[in-house]
Amino acid sequence: MSMASINETFKHPALFYRTAQEYTDQTVSFVREGLAVGEPVAVAVPGPNLELIRSGLGSDADGLLFLDMTDAGRNPGRIIPGVLRKFADAHPKGRVRIIGEPIWAGRTAAEYPACAQHEALINAAFEGRAVTILCPYDEARLDADVLTDARLTHPTVISQGREQASDAYDWEAIVARYNEVLQPALDAAVFSFDAEELSAARTFAVRQAQRLGLDGTRLLDAELAVAELTTNSVIHGGGHGTLAIWSEAGQVVVEVRDAGRLLDPLAGRRPPEQGQLGGRGLMLVHYVTDLVRVHTTGDGTAVRFYLTP
Amino acid sequence: MDAPQEVGGPVPTAPGRAALEVSSLSGRPGIRASGEITVVTRPSWEEALSELARNHAGVSYVELSDVGFVDVAGVTALAITAMNLPDGRVVVEHPPPHLPRVLEMFWPNLHQIEVAPR
Repeated sequence: MSMASINETFKHPALFYRTAQEYTDQTVSFVREGLAVGEPVAVAVPGPNLELIRSGLGSDADGLLFLDMTDAGRNPGRIIPGVLRKFADAHPKGRVRIIGEPIWAGRTAAEYPACAQHEALINAAFEGRAVTILCPYDEARLDADVLTDARLTHPTVISQGREQASDAYDWEAIVARYNEVLQPALDAAVFSFDAEELSAARTFAVRQAQRLGLDGTRLLDAELAVAELTTNSVIHGGGHGTLAIWSEAGQVVVEVRDAGRLLDPLAGRRPPEQGQLGGRGLMLVHYVTDLVRVHTTGDGTAVRFYLTP
Repeated sequence: MDAPQEVGGPVPTAPGRAALEVSSLSGRPGIRASGEITVVTRPSWEEALSELARNHAGVSYVELSDVGFVDVAGVTALAITAMNLPDGRVVVEHPPPHLPRVLEMFWPNLHQIEVAPR
């Protein structure tokens, strides 16, 4: 293997940790290794862990990018474009190093499938790029299934201080596994639309979202997201679709179903060039909402997004 | 002073169907739009923006106080039009709040567009 191909290899280790001390030791040495060879470093982890890394680094933390993942990555679907690619693309020369912790104890049952798919899709998004992304997993507090999935979504796993290749690595299996059927809500307000009724569908969604408690920017964002999904149905999803909206566990949920099939698993996660015409619709949905779930098959596609009032 | 000129042409209105009318501003360079900027009305919006770019010299105005909604592609068309201008800028007057929201998301430092809010 030539030097060039070694340098362009994407590295994506999972870090299994049990204690705050182990977390701090491992992440701080990961950051310092990068700094020693001049790599730009970003840290996107939940707030308390951010503080562990920051205080462990001391003055080495100066000038690094620190993001609270519970905010920047609340919706796991926006982490690739909005956190990882954003940082990597801003430093196109040489390798960049990122700690990204998208899965923490407390991720909900609705969120987890999208989190696992996100971890899987990182491998597709960064294939062949000189980027290292370390993903910490709290072995003491996460379910065994989550740790099993992490062995499928990461080519290597660091456990008890040793990095080993993961025999189970198969990210496409995780994308497929969590392409789960989305059961329609029984109490949803429903509106069927085609091209003629796009405007009416949007108006319907705004009224319902308002009734369910959205206002201000969140209502504006719901309207923008509904416009993108319903437009996609008309253009790519067979010309018509069904919009449903309801309230679930304190969140407003909006779902659009149509007869199309989403073939590109990275749709909505590839940042477009500044002057590129298309490619921002699904990304907007990821950016403005708290969660996006997708179920897509040859029989049709359902996309639902969640917004907390 | 030139009479207001139809640029995009009206789209027939029907219940629930979005329409957009675009005309030239009188007395200053630019366009005024009313209705909605969506996939249905995008051809007239893009045609109007091309017309704006052709006539651009220094500063052009886009008056949107009668526009109720603009989608991501509509904002994209405006941003790309502004980016491709040889010089000067576009002043967008009184747009619906979706427009600054999308601009801020995808083109946070676009100096060729100035927004005069509602």
